[in-house]
Amino acid sequence: MRRFLATVRRNRWHTAYLYIAPVLVVFGMFRVFPAIQTLVFSFFKVNLVSGKHQWVGLKNFSLLLHDTFFIKAIDNTLIYALYIVLISGFLALVLSSLFTSKMKLGSLFKAVYFVPFITSTVAAAVVWSYLYDPKFGLFNMILKMVGLPTRGWIASSRDALMSVIIFSIWKYVGYNMVIIIAGLQNIPDVYYEAATIDGAGPLTKFFRLTIPLLTPTIVFVVIYNSILSLKVFDQVFVLTSGGPAKASTVVVLELYEMAFLHYRFGYAASMAFVLFLIIITITLIQYFVTRKWEVEY
Amino acid sequence: MTAPGKMAGKTLIFLIVVVFGVLMIIPFYWMIVTSLQIPQNLRAFPPKWLPQPPTLEHFARAIEQAPFLLYYRNSLIVATIHVVLSVLLGLLAGYAFAVYRFPLKGFFFILILSTLMVPIQVTSVSLYILMSRLGWIDTFAGILAPDIASAFSVFFMTQTIKSMPRDLIDAARIDGSREIRIVMTIIAPLVKGVMATVALILFINAWNDFLWPVIIINSQTLRTLSVGIAFFKDPYHIAFGPLMAATTIATLPMILVYIGLQRFVIKGIATTGLKF
Repeated sequence: MRRFLATVRRNRWHTAYLYIAPVLVVFGMFRVFPAIQTLVFSFFKVNLVSGKHQWVGLKNFSLLLHDTFFIKAIDNTLIYALYIVLISGFLALVLSSLFTSKMKLGSLFKAVYFVPFITSTVAAAVVWSYLYDPKFGLFNMILKMVGLPTRGWIASSRDALMSVIIFSIWKYVGYNMVIIIAGLQNIPDVYYEAATIDGAGPLTKFFRLTIPLLTPTIVFVVIYNSILSLKVFDQVFVLTSGGPAKASTVVVLELYEMAFLHYRFGYAASMAFVLFLIIITITLIQYFVTRKWEVEY
Repeated sequence: MTAPGKMAGKTLIFLIVVVFGVLMIIPFYWMIVTSLQIPQNLRAFPPKWLPQPPTLEHFARAIEQAPFLLYYRNSLIVATIHVVLSVLLGLLAGYAFAVYRFPLKGFFFILILSTLMVPIQVTSVSLYILMSRLGWIDTFAGILAPDIASAFSVFFMTQTIKSMPRDLIDAARIDGSREIRIVMTIIAPLVKGVMATVALILFINAWNDFLWPVIIINSQTLRTLSVGIAFFKDPYHIAFGPLMAATTIATLPMILVYIGLQRFVIKGIATTGLKF
């Protein structure tokens, strides 16, 4: 016992535990415990008032399989994620490569592209709900001015999801660019100099040099955007509330409404659990993919 | 490529960058123009690109309809407490993880990082039930509970302190300094750049946070800016003038602060984002 205490003292274990204790307590209570409870609750019918929860087995999950709104939400969320990853990622890659050549006002434009990212999603989405307004919105006015047919945007079930996607591309392209530009700057110039001496043109350099060396960054951007997309909520809530007629609903919105409008907490927990499974799958893919493509300069 | 061809290519690239830059800014420009436009002009076709004549009446109506100053105060309180506690607790935990060797160290570190894989979107339902048991629904404590500490902050402080020379700490210990003194007077000044970057990113996130506040807040007096703006938009009865005045009030100060700090912000995001 005495020897143990001496070890504790010599290695300052008490100080170490004291310093990590606040974070552990807070995370244990408000992150880890609710995470485990989400799994537990998904097997229960939760009664918030009485606190007596009723075991229902896999019923919540079997209900999910037949819940047309939830299936629509999964469908929309995946479509949303796919578009964001592909278009936002591609656009950011192209725009970032344009930036690297020492451009006039380059840093000014970089700052401008980043403004949407730092503004609140809710506030920006409120502005876009005005731009998208079928009657008085700027987008339809511009379409009318150039003689194109106007669109329903967020008010039409055909355009609603696409409107949310366009908003999100606008919101996040700047962030992706900053990450990609940082990745580009990490590639040593000597590679490009060597390629120039060997007579490689700009396109060859882009596809044979930039893209392979940038792969870790691209993987990061893809994973970051997919997880961000799976969690999408704010802009859907503000722009369309998932409508019209659930045309643009997403997983977190369904979960939110199920729990906090219909008070079906157990059922909502089972939705959260499905969302967690999707996120963890993508995170694990990221882990293995990035390990495989680690680049050393 | 020939010289004129190169010139043309450069001009084309510059044009593309400018066009996309304009697309980035137009929503904000239109927000500000609309907020200053007299009501009759809001429905004008073709649209009026400048407020002629400018008026502040939408701002007056927006402030009359919702307590934006109070929303500001609430957002500031929430974001400040979150940032200060997260950075401070991150510094302490980061020091412990970087400097000491103790049982279960690896386990605790992974446990803290693994919370990143279970975002609030997943835990919100059970967290709400926990809050209701604690009686924290519709309180500042409830809004802040999941955000007192940050895994992001712990991770970055650990990485940064690890990269510093051990001799500094050993020398201070020989001089008889207590550990907490070492953290606060030797380590903290050395890592203040990283602390500022972490603080800035946490502040932006907290300021823009919406899902958890909208779940946990019921009363108008506790609403943060994001929640206040979202509920200011009445779906049945949209008056775009006051609405754009409200979003201008909500976004413009942040944008101005950003313009002042933009180099620092972008550099911070670039360095932390890539490693994270």
